[in-house]
Amino acid sequence: MLIDKGYTKVRPLAGGLDGWIDAGFPFESLA
Amino acid sequence: MTSLVHYVLQYGIPLVFINVLLEQLGVPVPAVPALIVAGALSRDGKLSSTHVLLAALIASLIADYVWFLLGRRFGYRILRTLCRISLSPDSCVRDTEARFERWGLKSLLIAKFIPGFSTVAPPLAGAAGKSTLAFLIYDGIGSIIWAGSAVALGRAFHRAIDRVLAALESLGGWALIIVASLLALMIAVKWAQRVRFIKQLRTLRIQPHELKEMFDRGELPVVLDVRTPGARRHDPRAIPTAILAVMEEIDKQLGDLAPHQEVVLYCT
Repeated sequence: MLIDKGYTKVRPLAGGLDGWIDAGFPFESLA
Repeated sequence: MTSLVHYVLQYGIPLVFINVLLEQLGVPVPAVPALIVAGALSRDGKLSSTHVLLAALIASLIADYVWFLLGRRFGYRILRTLCRISLSPDSCVRDTEARFERWGLKSLLIAKFIPGFSTVAPPLAGAAGKSTLAFLIYDGIGSIIWAGSAVALGRAFHRAIDRVLAALESLGGWALIIVASLLALMIAVKWAQRVRFIKQLRTLRIQPHELKEMFDRGELPVVLDVRTPGARRHDPRAIPTAILAVMEEIDKQLGDLAPHQEVVLYCT
């Protein structure tokens, strides 16, 4: 959808949020 | 009576049961053709349509309940496993999540008619903490509607199906080879689509360490959290600076972002 809107550099994060957290990188809480 | 129809008549109900069970568990063996043939045979009085529907219902409930329990146990993570084994690259977890959030358990009434949604809806219901009884009721009704439609189709077109069966019958042992080859071809085509899709994704994806390095270099890409509100409630963690994307308002949220700006999106 974003690419259709003209954005040329759209990339999904491999592993999603879990991949980021499992790699030990910081996260914040939405609660 | 020669082999093919003989086997279908002898093992018709167990075949329907196993076919539906495997399909609902996620194995790429379509059950609708078997249900249609069973419907045609029931119209000719060779099989009981009640038994066919019962077999389909019980098989569906068993498979869907397994996914429901897995969803309840492992939450939204089970969806990733499902995507890994799915042969439908066009079905996206986010789309199915959004559909489930919009319709709730009622979506189970039509889930089996939507490719990709059928296997994903039960674990979503489990992950969303829906009641077991309500799940079984909606899933059972949905299974009956789905299997009943296929059986009704078979009954309506029983003459044409009888002709196809007779033609296959005249081929003798070749009939099984043809049917098996068609099934293998269908799975191979879907598998090839899936491999191409994954290859494409791999070249597009950004690894977590690459994103972290961008942050460390001060490049500050736009990070979009594209999870549904339900998934965010289930897991309220987020990557710092991420924009909580609302698809209906995405233009407003992105404002006048330059088209060449790096955008990284993530879901569960």
